[in-house]
Amino acid sequence: MATPKVAPWPAVPILKPDEVYAGLSDQAKNYPLFLETIVRQEHNFEKPEALSRLRVLDCTTRMMIGHWCSSQLAELGAEVIQVEPPDGDPLRRNTPFGRREYMFRDKDSGEEVGGQFLHEMRNKLSITLNLETEEGREILKKLVVHADAVIENAPPGQWDSWGIGYRQLRELNPRLIYCWVGQRGQWGPLKDKPGMLDPVAQASCGFVHGTGDPKEFGGQPTRSALWMADHVGGTSAAMGILSAVLYRENVSGQGQFIEATAAEAIIRILDYSWAWYSMDGSIRPRYGNWDLAINIYAVNPCKDGYMMVGGGHDRLWYRIWRTVGDEQPAVEEDILGDLHLREVADRLAHDMQVKTYTMLGEWLKDNPRSEAERKLSKQQVASGGVLYVNEVAEYPHFKYRGHVAETESPHYGKVLYGTTPFLQHKTPGRLKWLGRPTGYDNQDVYRRLLGFTRDDFARLKQAKIV
Amino acid sequence: MATQTSTAKPGAQQGFEEFCRETFDFKKAFGKPEALKGYRVLSCTQYILGPSCASYMAELGAEVIKIEAPRRGEAMRHTTPFNEPFLYPLSRWVPERGTGLGFLGANPNEYFISVDFHRPEGQDIVKKLAAKSDVMVENYRPGTFERWGIGYRQLKEINPRLVYCWLGGFGGWGPGRVRASYDILGQSQGGNFGMTGKQEFLGGAPSKHTIWLADYWGGMMGAVQILAALYWRDKISGEGTFTEYSQVHGVTRQLEYALPLYGRHGITRERWGNWDTQLCVHGIVKCGKSSYPQSENPQEQEEGYILMSAYEDKDFARLCKTVGDGKMAEKYAKHDARVKAQSQMEIYPWLEKWATDKTKEQVAAILDKADIINQPVWNSKEVANNPHWQQRGAVQWLDDPTFGDLMHQGPAYKMSETPPRLKWALKPVGADNERILGQLAGLSAEDLRRLEEQECI
Amino acid sequence: MLLICAGCKTKNFLDPYPFWNFKGKTKCAGCGKIWRLETSAGVCVAGPEAADGKPDLLPGFAEKPDYSPISGAELTRPAPRARPTSVCRPIPIQRNVRGKTVSGRPLKKEELVGSLPRFIQEGM
Repeated sequence: MATPKVAPWPAVPILKPDEVYAGLSDQAKNYPLFLETIVRQEHNFEKPEALSRLRVLDCTTRMMIGHWCSSQLAELGAEVIQVEPPDGDPLRRNTPFGRREYMFRDKDSGEEVGGQFLHEMRNKLSITLNLETEEGREILKKLVVHADAVIENAPPGQWDSWGIGYRQLRELNPRLIYCWVGQRGQWGPLKDKPGMLDPVAQASCGFVHGTGDPKEFGGQPTRSALWMADHVGGTSAAMGILSAVLYRENVSGQGQFIEATAAEAIIRILDYSWAWYSMDGSIRPRYGNWDLAINIYAVNPCKDGYMMVGGGHDRLWYRIWRTVGDEQPAVEEDILGDLHLREVADRLAHDMQVKTYTMLGEWLKDNPRSEAERKLSKQQVASGGVLYVNEVAEYPHFKYRGHVAETESPHYGKVLYGTTPFLQHKTPGRLKWLGRPTGYDNQDVYRRLLGFTRDDFARLKQAKIV
Repeated sequence: MATQTSTAKPGAQQGFEEFCRETFDFKKAFGKPEALKGYRVLSCTQYILGPSCASYMAELGAEVIKIEAPRRGEAMRHTTPFNEPFLYPLSRWVPERGTGLGFLGANPNEYFISVDFHRPEGQDIVKKLAAKSDVMVENYRPGTFERWGIGYRQLKEINPRLVYCWLGGFGGWGPGRVRASYDILGQSQGGNFGMTGKQEFLGGAPSKHTIWLADYWGGMMGAVQILAALYWRDKISGEGTFTEYSQVHGVTRQLEYALPLYGRHGITRERWGNWDTQLCVHGIVKCGKSSYPQSENPQEQEEGYILMSAYEDKDFARLCKTVGDGKMAEKYAKHDARVKAQSQMEIYPWLEKWATDKTKEQVAAILDKADIINQPVWNSKEVANNPHWQQRGAVQWLDDPTFGDLMHQGPAYKMSETPPRLKWALKPVGADNERILGQLAGLSAEDLRRLEEQECI
Repeated sequence: MLLICAGCKTKNFLDPYPFWNFKGKTKCAGCGKIWRLETSAGVCVAGPEAADGKPDLLPGFAEKPDYSPISGAELTRPAPRARPTSVCRPIPIQRNVRGKTVSGRPLKKEELVGSLPRFIQEGM
């Protein structure tokens, strides 16, 4: 089936610095140009990598959380070896609506991989190893001697029962940092409740209940489109691993056991839900795209989509209505004349928010996102439209800063992707490659780390251990 | 050789769950060393992105000094849900006001001083503190700190080992660098907002993630950068550095398959509500009955929801058997058939119909018995009272030294030897002025009095 | 959409999300008149015209021309709430859900020891 021809990216050329800073005085240009000299990604490969001395074994499968964690380390320079079952991580086979035509095919082997796995398989090597076999686990034991960290997400206690848990591996390598990742944890009353994929974590921690429109607006509890609890849990695991590395190098010379769960990472960031409940029994309600604690601070429909307008300060409140008043003077007059809206704190009541956003809607209905933003920015009010991914990919500022970029993979051809946000002066994060066929690095890794011979490879492949 | 288990006996192996429970017991954390002992971090931050970044290091034992505007502190202290709950005093100068709960979670374990950055004496104080610090975290508009003489270029002359971490919305360079940002603006412009929420064809709209996802998770990304920079400095180079984190950039990084799909096929990923685009069955379904019909709290009166996950063929077969529908079992026996958009549009309403007369607990019990993965959608009270989260310290009763008995979230992850831990939730503005400014910035009692009178601190 | 009732001049706030693309009847919270209207992308494209029968959706809030608020059962849609009642004003709290002391009420300078509430220090 022929897919329609897709225009190359970018559809509109990326701006040049001269265009961006045209007309500015030297003084005004000085600071942003200074930043460009020290953090533009063009300079990345001239600079060292912060974590190049570390080697990490990512043995996680099926979930995003472990791969997300190892990505942060890989982007910052660690050698990350993804240890996959001989048929590859099942996550490779995920594709939207099961559509094979959306997958990416390795031009040499013909192996297909879905976009979700591909996007996270960055800077990592791939080896295969069957940990369900005794001999496979023996090989893992030999590998961890050479590793700084190992990440696994097997059901609670499985690796321990296989003799490759933290308690056993630390005997083989006392410097090893062993990290388990999952949804709800290795211990506790829920540990045996099955459910190892996002959004299990999202539902179990209060996030889903609190997201989406309230029932009074016709809404329901809503999950994220993304496996975002895995993202937050994975980054938490990376914080754990890096702080363990620091402690090992500074003080102890030894590793430790880290546990990071997607649910608890989200619980950590559900700011006031727990304290609020403890103070007076309040149960945090959904409030759609409005905010319980700040007005004006919301996304509302506008002429061509949805528009975020923000301004909790009193000063910004008046600037927003001034902008509205340029086109709808009666609306601004009404707001300014309303004593119930005079005090910042009084604007939080639900009734006041209904009034606020209904009146703002009278202006938003006549303004598309770009116009609303242009007019509000004249008053220094922060605002912006809800962008869809095609708009994000073509947004001049994001293209200029390289939030989105295209890489040419020797395996998969041109791939558009979200770049690492780790911009730095001395040791920036970077992409070295995107995507890796299953077991592509078997020869390299097993030879240099374990001294495998041709016979070893033949025998282990035959026995389906590698 | 390491002997991390207190009950280790030669030969005898403790049960794994028991071992984990003991190893990660948050109540034992204070008996163990801290990973970042000896590191000092300055947090010149407001709202959530910058503050949370510094707070993750405070959990690990770094001495984190939060610097706020005198008397009233930073803006986030003045946000609280429905304008109702506050923690008093806001500061010793303004005890009749309180800190709003919006401030919670972003600044635990920190020392709080107040300094007016606009004044030369204030800038001087920051320089003195930066000379003795390992990390500076700030999220003011790009160039502001440079104008005040305390930007990266100036501070690295004073302290070449300083790791200077700037976080913000749109970054410090590029055509949009002048735009201020908030969390949900980052979500809107970064792309995760437009794909979350009820499907367009069901009359839905995009939905924000109701946590400051871009900011809190962005702060974690900032912390990862800082930890890597400290490692590189202490182990390899001896040099500090400058890190820039744009929270909008972070959101775009999170978009999973959306960018590769758009680049290759020109397809823009749309909302798919509570279902999953890649796995079926793997979605959240409404259960028609309320779990607490007698409750006066509307949050409990609502009907419940539950996540059901049965995307393997054998699990789906078992689900159909449980629901009692052979036709569906046959029609959608294979995952390829189930995961199509049109199939999902038939399958989920069918599941909801079955759940119409049940509470989420009833559905969970039936599915548990049939060995089908499920997770009820819990509200904040159910989570707070759940023994699993309580035992693990994900939510903890905290004896806060200033504010008393408060429930608060624990750190996001656990470590066996150097666990991050919760010490206190927050403090009033300027609570530690005497201690920090006296000890670290070399200010005498006379200086402190004078500066306080001038409202410089 | 702001619906000013042609009858009693009450300002009925038809809040953006449920009323952006709406076709049906709503009810003036001031006088009970039924109004039929149609909106498309927030713009009123038909009506409002007087109608009979029951409303499909109530306004989110309403107020009289002199800003006095109108809300309540059968008049406007209920507000999302975290508790049975909602006041939207600072609530003094001294005992939390498990009966222990928490510093949730305004203080005076005399009640402080440095930056700490004395009653927390002493009265636990």
